[in-house]
Amino acid sequence: MIVPFGHLLMFAASLFVLGLCCTLLRREIIMILIGVEIMLNAAALTLVGGAAYWQQSDGQVFVILLMAITAAEVAVALALVVYLKQRKGTLVADAFDRMSG
Amino acid sequence: MNETLLFLIPLLPLCCALLNMLVGMRLPRLFAETVAVSGVATAFVLTLLFWDYASGAGTRATLFTWLASGDLEIAFALHFDRLAAPMTLMVTGVATLIHLYAVGYMHGEQDYARFFGLLNLFVFAMLTIILADNLLVLFLGWEGVGLCSYGLIGFWYRKLDNARAGTKAFLVTRVGDVFLGIALLWLFALTGSLSIGVINAAAADLAPAVLLGLTLLLLLGACGKSAQLPLMTWLADAMAGPTPVSALIHAATMVTAGVYLLCRLFPLVSLSAAGMAVITAVGALTALYAATCALAQREIKRVLAYSTMSQVGFMFMAVGAGSVAGAMFHLLTHAFFKALLFMAAGCVIHLAGEENDLFRMGGLYRRGPVELFWIFLIGAVCLAGVPLTSGFFSKDAILLAVFTHPDPVYRLFWGIGVLTALLTALYTFRLVYLIFAGEPRGQGAPHPVSLAMRWPLWPLAGLALLGGGLNLPALVGGGERLHHWLGDLGGRTIAAAHSTELRLIALATALVLAGWAIAHWRYRRFAPPTEAALVQFLLHGWQADRLVDRLLVRPFTATAHFCSTGCDRGLFDGTLAGLASLAQRTGALLRRLATGRVSTSLSAFAWGLLVIAGWLLLQLASRGGHG
Amino acid sequence: MTLTTALPSFPWLSLLIFLPLAGALLCLLHHRQATECRWLALGTTLATFTVTVWLFCIHGEGAAGWLRYEEATWVGAYGIRYSLALDGIALLMVLLTALLQVVGVLLAWSVQRQTGLFLALLLTMESGLLGIFLAHDLVLFYLFWEIALIPMFFLIGVWGHERRRQAALKFFLYTLAGSLCMLVAIIALYLIHGEQTGHYSFLLSDLLQTRLTTAQEFWLFAGFLAAFAIKSPIVPLHTWLPDALTEAPAVGSVDLTGLLIKTGIYGLLRFAFPLFPVATATFLPILGVLALIGLFHAAWSAFRQDDIKRLLAYSSISHLGLVLLGLAAWTLTAWQGSLLLMVTHGITTGALFALVSMIRQRTGSRDLRQLGGLWSQAPCLSAFFLLFALASLGLPGLANFAGEILVLLGTFATHPFWAAFGMLGVVFAAAYMLRLVQGVLWGEPGPATAGAAAIADLDAREWLILVPLALITLWLGLYPAPLLRPLEQPVLALLGGLP
Repeated sequence: MIVPFGHLLMFAASLFVLGLCCTLLRREIIMILIGVEIMLNAAALTLVGGAAYWQQSDGQVFVILLMAITAAEVAVALALVVYLKQRKGTLVADAFDRMSG
Repeated sequence: MNETLLFLIPLLPLCCALLNMLVGMRLPRLFAETVAVSGVATAFVLTLLFWDYASGAGTRATLFTWLASGDLEIAFALHFDRLAAPMTLMVTGVATLIHLYAVGYMHGEQDYARFFGLLNLFVFAMLTIILADNLLVLFLGWEGVGLCSYGLIGFWYRKLDNARAGTKAFLVTRVGDVFLGIALLWLFALTGSLSIGVINAAAADLAPAVLLGLTLLLLLGACGKSAQLPLMTWLADAMAGPTPVSALIHAATMVTAGVYLLCRLFPLVSLSAAGMAVITAVGALTALYAATCALAQREIKRVLAYSTMSQVGFMFMAVGAGSVAGAMFHLLTHAFFKALLFMAAGCVIHLAGEENDLFRMGGLYRRGPVELFWIFLIGAVCLAGVPLTSGFFSKDAILLAVFTHPDPVYRLFWGIGVLTALLTALYTFRLVYLIFAGEPRGQGAPHPVSLAMRWPLWPLAGLALLGGGLNLPALVGGGERLHHWLGDLGGRTIAAAHSTELRLIALATALVLAGWAIAHWRYRRFAPPTEAALVQFLLHGWQADRLVDRLLVRPFTATAHFCSTGCDRGLFDGTLAGLASLAQRTGALLRRLATGRVSTSLSAFAWGLLVIAGWLLLQLASRGGHG
Repeated sequence: MTLTTALPSFPWLSLLIFLPLAGALLCLLHHRQATECRWLALGTTLATFTVTVWLFCIHGEGAAGWLRYEEATWVGAYGIRYSLALDGIALLMVLLTALLQVVGVLLAWSVQRQTGLFLALLLTMESGLLGIFLAHDLVLFYLFWEIALIPMFFLIGVWGHERRRQAALKFFLYTLAGSLCMLVAIIALYLIHGEQTGHYSFLLSDLLQTRLTTAQEFWLFAGFLAAFAIKSPIVPLHTWLPDALTEAPAVGSVDLTGLLIKTGIYGLLRFAFPLFPVATATFLPILGVLALIGLFHAAWSAFRQDDIKRLLAYSSISHLGLVLLGLAAWTLTAWQGSLLLMVTHGITTGALFALVSMIRQRTGSRDLRQLGGLWSQAPCLSAFFLLFALASLGLPGLANFAGEILVLLGTFATHPFWAAFGMLGVVFAAAYMLRLVQGVLWGEPGPATAGAAAIADLDAREWLILVPLALITLWLGLYPAPLLRPLEQPVLALLGGLP
């Protein structure tokens, strides 16, 4: 393994925090979704790194599954985004608060 | 013959009642009337046919087991014995005549099937009381007569007052029934049986205090049905019913059921001297109370109602003095003359143009058929106790029994009885004068009195006049037949010197004369009614209704209000509402957290993640520390 | 889930439970065809009733032990068994259930909205009720307990009268709170028993062998009591019943008063008393006093009601007070009386609720102040009303009296003063019942009765409902022996359990 495992973990963690910040701080749904995607990718990176480190294929299998799920999720989410934009004319997440108690 | 056939006596009226109730309205009127009358008349004939069964120890017949549970076994069983037989004969006989009278009286009534159905059902229930072999079957009849009385008092239900009078009668008598019911429970617990024979036999082994308690409970039960103090308020209002009903139920039969109950359980009741004294006291006080009330009544039927109450008081005195024979004797003669009086009063009301008020009658002697005057007079002289009429002998026998009782306190009761006898004569002749003497004062056009209403009066008049022959005292050469027939069921044998008896008879005669004289002097010419306080007081039955209202009805309603509104709505539902609003307020606090915005959820999510991660780190650190 | 019968004979008890369930499913499938659903439901209930009558015919003599027993493994891992048992007490309750459901379907004939769904719920409830009376496994019992509850919630909440939402919610929350307590107690008992014997089972006969400390007994008993006391209802936990009964549709009222509240008492005597004898012995005197308080409190409250259904609801609570009094007396006669009274009360009060709905359909009112003079307009209906009212106030010769007098006779043997007060309750019953009769039948026609153009007397369907009930009322009043006989052995067995 060329890259040390520790570096990889650090990198994945930073990526995850960046994604988290994006999710928490941005107000548009699109950006929140991108943040989620980034976090997912951070997780995937960890899995790949782990698979390489321990020489086990489980992690890689899992990543493939993850990619499939992500693709599906993005498809549904973008459809939702289009629908929401049509309904309210905005994509600011806080505009959709009908679940308030 | 099979003794089970005895069941035909009560069941025939029952079947006729059911027939009339179910299909009576679809059949021609004549059919309904025939069914009703023939049912009761057949029961009368059957009683005569079965008369021999009553002699000796009587005959028991069992139909089937009603209730069975463990040791408890209660059957539908009859006991036709020497006490029940004359009572049965009287009830069926008088009821037949009254049914015939009712055919005439209710001629214009549209709802005849209900009337005759209830009347027949009443006869069934009354016969059940009389013939019952155990107390539960007796209780069945006891409540049954109460029900029929309820239905018949409120027969003209469109007037709510009538329905109210019925409800009042049912409720007040039911208060008495509670005590009878408790006595019944207690007797079962004590003797393990409800059979009257077993209970009477076992009574001798009971403790005096228990006997007194039982006697008082039974007395209260009897008071309810027989309208004695303190449960007497319903009877006068019960006159709202049709006149045949008043004659049958509220004069001749049902109101004497209490007396009959005490006679039935006499072996038990008589064991408690204190209890007997209380019975006499209740009888004496009621007799006096009702007689004073009768003096001031304005409605003809209310006078008779109070007089019934008073006469039943005499019967209670007889039982209390230990003379079952005397009580039964008066019960029978009273049934004859009081039924006669009520039925004659019905004719009088018809003649006066549906006028109940005595002060608007008058002059009926000249206006109506003369025979009606004579019939009414026969009833009246019996009630007043004019010598040689049936009422004279039976009342005299009671006063003699009370007078000869060894306990000195009974002299006091005797004194009350004598005073009541004077008042009885007074109000009876007042009634006669107010109805028949003077000029007509009412405006109502007279209704004709049909033949069906008139001729049943004659046999009753005969019985009322000659009924004394049933138990003619030895003094006037009689054989005391009723006493001998009852034998050991007849209670104490009254032994008195002939001179004492003669003196009492002379006193009684003097009292009747005095009563008549006062009435003649006071009511020969009509004087407009006064509004004196005393008259008002007596007119309203010593304000007993108001007293009951204050003491019982209002507290009852107030408690009901408290229970439904204060307790249920206020306390219980209030507590619940408090709990609910607590939950709601907590929820309202919590809902502030749920803004519904994605950003809030996401930051909460992140914070939660942080907390979990921190906790995991702490765990790791502490484990590292240990390791 | 495997369902195999343990006994070779035909599984009649399972048939009883699954027949209405199948009927309910069919009703759901065909819920658009109202008429078909009605006949289907009637057929199902009649078939169920026939089976119960047949069971009654072959087991009417009663016997010690179970009359019928059916068992199968259900969730083997947790010792949950599908186990049904029939004894004389259950037989009576099952008979009453099946009878009242036939009446219920006939009453529901006039339901117009969502008929299929309504009938499906009704039939599901019948399954649940029959299951409650037959279940011998506590999980199964709990399951049926809830199955009977939920349809009732919807019956009240959807088809009820004006304030149906609140009433349904109150009913549901109240009973659910109680039954959750019971569920906790059941599981605790199961764990204690399992730890003691190593044999984990929910079977009643197994759990009866559990040895409990006094403290355990009291807590577990309290858990069971919470469910049963609310359902029975024991004062002061009764306030849900007047609301629920008043707002429920006619059938709902009949089932609620005739059956659902009886399940509470049945649960007490079948589960709570035998499982916790020590706690029961302590509790009985309290129960007696509570029963008397309930008897008088409810009778007094009934006296003040102007809404007929509310009045009848309170009268039910009052009658149930007498039933509980009989249970508290702990004698054979009193228990037989209580059980008989449960049956007769179901029939007479059920009939009265049916009559009230008929009156309401004709006049649009249930208010005593609006009604009156009904006899002159509908004599047959009025006659039935009078008959059942008289039966309800305990007139001898009609059904309720037999039960009442047995309760009182039995109670007097152990607690004379209780019985004396119970007797006094009879006057109270007369007071509110006669007020009811007077308000509805007598007097001049009231605003509501006079307002309706012409009040029709009974039609054929209503005759069909009322005549059998009237005949049964008379029959049980005069000859209750057939119902008392099967009770004797099981009651004696249950009574023997008290130390």
